[in-house]
Amino acid sequence: MKSRAKYYFLLPGVIWVLVFTIFPLIYSLYLSFTNARLGRPTEFRGLDNYGRIFTDSRVQDTVIMTLFVVIGSLVLTMLIGTFVAWLFNHDIPGINRLRAIMTMPLFAAPIAVGYLGVIIFNETHGPVNNLIMALGGQPVQWVVNPWGARFSVLITDVWQWTPFVFIVALAAMQSVPEELVEAARLDTDSAWVIFRHITFPLIAPALGTVALLRMVETLKILDIPFTLTGGGPGTASQTFSYYVFQRGLRDFELGYASAMSYLLVIICSVIAGIYFWRVRARFD
Amino acid sequence: MATTLTHVKTAEVRQTRLGDWRKIFLWVAVIFVLFIAVYPFFWSVITSFKQQKDALIPSLIPWVQFEPTLFNWQQEFGVGGAETFKALKNSSLIAIGATIVATTLGTTVGYGLARFRYGVGNRNLVSWFLSQRFLPPIVTVIPFKIFYGRVGLIDSIPGMILVNATFVLPFAVLIMRDFFAEFPKELEEAALVDGANHRQVFLRVALPVAGPSLVAATLICFAFAWNEFLFASQLTTLNAKPYTLLVSGLDSVRGIMFNFVSTRMLITVTVPIVLSLFVQRYIVRGLTFGAVKG
Repeated sequence: MKSRAKYYFLLPGVIWVLVFTIFPLIYSLYLSFTNARLGRPTEFRGLDNYGRIFTDSRVQDTVIMTLFVVIGSLVLTMLIGTFVAWLFNHDIPGINRLRAIMTMPLFAAPIAVGYLGVIIFNETHGPVNNLIMALGGQPVQWVVNPWGARFSVLITDVWQWTPFVFIVALAAMQSVPEELVEAARLDTDSAWVIFRHITFPLIAPALGTVALLRMVETLKILDIPFTLTGGGPGTASQTFSYYVFQRGLRDFELGYASAMSYLLVIICSVIAGIYFWRVRARFD
Repeated sequence: MATTLTHVKTAEVRQTRLGDWRKIFLWVAVIFVLFIAVYPFFWSVITSFKQQKDALIPSLIPWVQFEPTLFNWQQEFGVGGAETFKALKNSSLIAIGATIVATTLGTTVGYGLARFRYGVGNRNLVSWFLSQRFLPPIVTVIPFKIFYGRVGLIDSIPGMILVNATFVLPFAVLIMRDFFAEFPKELEEAALVDGANHRQVFLRVALPVAGPSLVAATLICFAFAWNEFLFASQLTTLNAKPYTLLVSGLDSVRGIMFNFVSTRMLITVTVPIVLSLFVQRYIVRGLTFGAVKG
């Protein structure tokens, strides 16, 4: 009796995940080996789709755009988020309220954040260009210029996700023992030295965790460029997920899109593997 | 003696002065950071009270720089109200349904994983449940579209509830497992000794004390289901369209009607942001899947 009871707690959840996550995943793998397309009979094509990925020049462009956002966003959110956490970790009155304000961007729908970007980066009337012009600079062509568009996607993503790095880094910093920092203060007046040799080594594991999560999230990025730039100008700011979306759900090349999405699954699985290998001891 | 005293005193004065400068720098920096986090929202609030002609002008102060108007909000809730309310109702139904499913499954699974040992290893099971949050949603949207087309779930609220429940399930599993794992199990063991079975113990002993965690799981699940866009854009057409789709439907007016864009954008983001204020304690843990304790 006792040995059976424990499975009843797990069973509904396990079945749910098998039906709604694992099964679609397997079906999508099957599709990736076919020429499935809406309105024509499906034939098995082996690895054709996967071969096509490597000769598709659009893939190359979207991979570059995706890497630009992944690396750019990773570096910027980690640096800014950690620095802001360090700023807020200074006996600031009302810190909990300020922290709550900082988490606001995290809970805004990415699709809406994309529109926020449209408003903020508008070339002639947006606050960003107004500020640049007020400071005596030339207005940046956020829409017309390919790199302007790419940077607008990057900056919007960084704006939304820096708070995530911030709250995690702050939580980690607040668990650094006060005595350690006090003791170090006797030896040095330099905030940098204390951060580098006391705080950073202690918060590094938490930062590593966040970095992995940030990588996966940005690899999947679709909503923000979808509304912010529409992938444009041309296809300059189209990310890999966006291209898969276009091929599969606008051109209805289901087989080819599935094959491309499986590349993303493999990369995300590797990162997820590293992630859970690091943290799974806490799940026992 | 006198000289040492003055020496000590000047050192002290210097230190407090340095401290003051540090404090000023700190506060300037903190305010600057908050400003950047909030300004885009603030700008859209201002823009949502502008007439279309003013929306193109960089002005901030109502009545002085521009004549504020309720026109956009009236359009959204008055003239175009039917569409708005329907989409908001759909968003709410989908998010509530998904949340009920996810927290129900998440609570039983979380309890099981916290109280019993399983052959494959609890750490592996927990990782398995959480890992689907790492999957790129673009992979499963195609299979879902095909199947929903076959079984007639396209453009239906139940269909949207199913997919969203799947996406937010990891949050519920994580938060509930964490709670039960940290809650002492002596009470439950006593009840078992008294002859209660596991189902009774779960329902009458464990569940009643799980309230706060359950509320947190509910709010976080609701917020993320509310924000979902990709699946909604593919699996709904007319009747089950949630509000995120109404926002993206502004495509045709890109770059022109900022006043409308702002209004809809604000309506979308307000609900989850308000909910987030009640779950601050759980955010770090929830979003890092338990890896960092907040």
